[in-house]
Amino acid sequence: MTKIIIDGQEVEADPHKPLIHACHGHGSDVPMYCYHPGLTPVGSCRICQVEVQQGEMPPRVVVACRTPVSEGMVVNTDAAGAHEARRQCLEFLLKNHPLDCPICDKAGECDLQDFSFAEGQGEGRSVEPRRKLEKRKSLGDVIVLDQERCILCSRCVRFFEDVTHKAQLTVAGMGARSVISTFADRPLTGNYQGNLADICPVGALTLKKFRFQARVWNLHKSFSTCGECSRGCSISVEVLRRREVKRLRPRYNPEVNRWWMCDTGRFSFDRFNRAGRLGAGLLAGRRGMEAVDRERALDEVGDILRVHAHNEVIASPWLTQEEGQELARLAQRLGVEPCFVSPPANDLEDDLLHTGDPSPNRRGLEELGFVGRTARELIETLAQRESALLVGERIGELLGAEGLASLPRSVRLMAIDTHPIEAPALRVLLGTPDASEREGTWVNVDGHVGRIASAKPAPEGVRVLCRDLVDLIERLEGQGQETLS
Amino acid sequence: MKSPELYLLSRTNRPDSHTLDVFRRHEGYQALERVLKGGFSPQEVIGMVKDSGLRGRGGAGFPTGLKWSFMPDPEKDPRPRYLAVNADESEPGTCKDRVLLEKDPHGLIEGILIACYAMQVKTAYVYVRGEYRLPHDRVAKALAEARAAGWVGENILDSDFSCEICGEETGLMESLEGKRGHPRPKPPFPAGFGLWGQPTTVNNVETLHNVPFIILRGAEWYRSMGTEKSPGNILVGISGHVERPGVYEVPLGTSAQKILEDHAGGVWKGRKLKAWIPGGSSTGFLPGSQIGLSMDHDSLKEAGSMLGTAAMIMLDETACVVRAMQVMARFYDHESCGQCSQCREGTEWLSQIFRRIECGDGRVEDIDLLTSLANGMAPGKTICALADAAAIPTHSVVRHFRAELEAHVEQGRCPYLSNDQPSQATVGAHA
Repeated sequence: MTKIIIDGQEVEADPHKPLIHACHGHGSDVPMYCYHPGLTPVGSCRICQVEVQQGEMPPRVVVACRTPVSEGMVVNTDAAGAHEARRQCLEFLLKNHPLDCPICDKAGECDLQDFSFAEGQGEGRSVEPRRKLEKRKSLGDVIVLDQERCILCSRCVRFFEDVTHKAQLTVAGMGARSVISTFADRPLTGNYQGNLADICPVGALTLKKFRFQARVWNLHKSFSTCGECSRGCSISVEVLRRREVKRLRPRYNPEVNRWWMCDTGRFSFDRFNRAGRLGAGLLAGRRGMEAVDRERALDEVGDILRVHAHNEVIASPWLTQEEGQELARLAQRLGVEPCFVSPPANDLEDDLLHTGDPSPNRRGLEELGFVGRTARELIETLAQRESALLVGERIGELLGAEGLASLPRSVRLMAIDTHPIEAPALRVLLGTPDASEREGTWVNVDGHVGRIASAKPAPEGVRVLCRDLVDLIERLEGQGQETLS
Repeated sequence: MKSPELYLLSRTNRPDSHTLDVFRRHEGYQALERVLKGGFSPQEVIGMVKDSGLRGRGGAGFPTGLKWSFMPDPEKDPRPRYLAVNADESEPGTCKDRVLLEKDPHGLIEGILIACYAMQVKTAYVYVRGEYRLPHDRVAKALAEARAAGWVGENILDSDFSCEICGEETGLMESLEGKRGHPRPKPPFPAGFGLWGQPTTVNNVETLHNVPFIILRGAEWYRSMGTEKSPGNILVGISGHVERPGVYEVPLGTSAQKILEDHAGGVWKGRKLKAWIPGGSSTGFLPGSQIGLSMDHDSLKEAGSMLGTAAMIMLDETACVVRAMQVMARFYDHESCGQCSQCREGTEWLSQIFRRIECGDGRVEDIDLLTSLANGMAPGKTICALADAAAIPTHSVVRHFRAELEAHVEQGRCPYLSNDQPSQATVGAHA
């Protein structure tokens, strides 16, 4: 480690990282556009100017992203000369910027807006006409490019070069005529395009799916974990008006996903907004499934499990560790081996993040003693049981509507899921919160624990799954005590 | 007074000076022979170049021997190493290397070979700009001749020294690697991390041409020409409103007036000198009254300008400095690679303002805005010096020709145009 002084305080700096890294680590808000900690620094935007003094040399203003740290370096991020250099740089960057913040999706989380507010001058001095460029150039299914807003930081270019190792973008043209372009105007491909919208420091690259959807300051953000594969990328779930998930974004996690996430995960949030959610409980009656309160539904589940000897308990691999523990206790109480539906690997596996295994908590459930079995195996087993309890979001989907519908009425099916299941054998159906509505932990493929967080309220009548499971265990234990007495 | 000794252009006026035969008859490859057969160690060659005081002729005037000594010791750093020769002169006014490339390509090859020997480089690249068709062809032909005669390749003159030279036509280091010609930030410096990440030295054509003469005639001889801090001769390309534009060889420190009058025949049509540029467009305008300045690094630096590439441009009393500046500003706008914010936007902005002033749409506040913008672009605020190259002439116009800018603004037109002439401002890319 190298000892340097930043704004009067001695700091231990990593000698292999540029000065800006030490500044940010120390809490100095040095602005940046082209620099991104996950990409090769190029030092082209010139905004991260700080004043540096070494030895007897007079202080000089340098770009922090291309300056190596050296022992005894004295850094002043707040020097007048540094502020002036940044102000000048911003004036140039804003000269041709359209300033269409009122209709820009980036407004509110735009680095150009933020640093201009912090450093810039109130008024522009240019009377020249602003550059007219393409404002909505489609770069494929995911991203739209606004060339007028672009400040040519080249983060997007370097993302494909450094992260996916397949260059897809370049700076075309020279000087003031430079624009970001794909090669030969081909659309972008791959499962990581959405990251461009995150790393773009301005509103030049936006997600088609998020365009004009929400003002970002109205989004409530919760730190959670993605459930689309067993990587479990750290994400932020962003909800508008406590109701609708508007986007998922990666959160920096050095051990799992760094700054990135795949598009499969990023655009999986429609599931959280799907209508037709299950509420408290439904019981099979004469007129089909009839609504009942939660206690009544749980009583029914308890009664069925108590009365029958050949039971089966099947978990969804979306169950958290906490839920899994309770379900394992329940299974033990019933004397059955707990198992979970193990969906087949999909073809999305890559060498960056996606594991190709759609089960977010496979490793965790296995550690708890659950056995993964295919939907087909499980349907075959179920057909020979007297009753079965299916637990967790997506369980109906994972076992398959067809398979469930094929089960004879002799199997008393009970399910706790987010959306209705239709099957003649179905006796009880209870609603449960989905991954955007509950707390807990998943264990990813490498054993890292990821926390999921409640980002919006669960539907009315639905409550935490652990409580349902504990209540069921109590009902079974109550029976046990009765028998004893 | 005896006329100064010429060496850089000593061969160029001879018929077929570009051929190996003519070159060999006039001291050609003798310096290389002396180095390889005379038992010079690489360090001794570097020492000699250091002693000669040779400064780079590409514009910055950095001491060449010192630059060579920055290359890591091959014992400690066995990575492959390169010499890149900059034959991409492209600044407005500069055309001196062209003469050497076309008329004395073997002189360059000999310079390269000695430089490679000194820095223990086995591969050199000559980067010739795409527009230089004839110079490229001449260098390529000379290389083929030299290779066939054993001057380039394995075990040159039966020594251990092997060296390969490749001609290239497009970009410098990035460009040589096949990428966009974007300047790279320093550090890392090319001596440690250059072409393909390997130790590299970049030298200008004229710089290398000096080397064989230093070897043949000695550092002391070299120092007998020019000034103490800028020894040797230099090629001066003089253009603009002069009787005999051309490339002339003069000792460093010769007065600009002497070059203008003795070599270029004075200002044309018997007119008076209004303004001049000492070393290519990026060195800025000086008023005609300062034509007495010496053409060397330090004298011009003292006068607030630079020697640059010693490409002198003369403007007579009928010329409009604003218009000349507007053409130059447009050049920098066009040539900016676009990496750095200040340069990309600033060069365009300066070009727009100068164009408005020349067309009669200037505002009084534009003049101070020019200074303020130039201060935002330079010095040293960008990766390479192109922003500086645009800022320096801008400052010089405001400093020395403010009255002319003001006259444009006040009259709402270029005062150097007659009434019936349409505006002559060149149309920019964004018009």
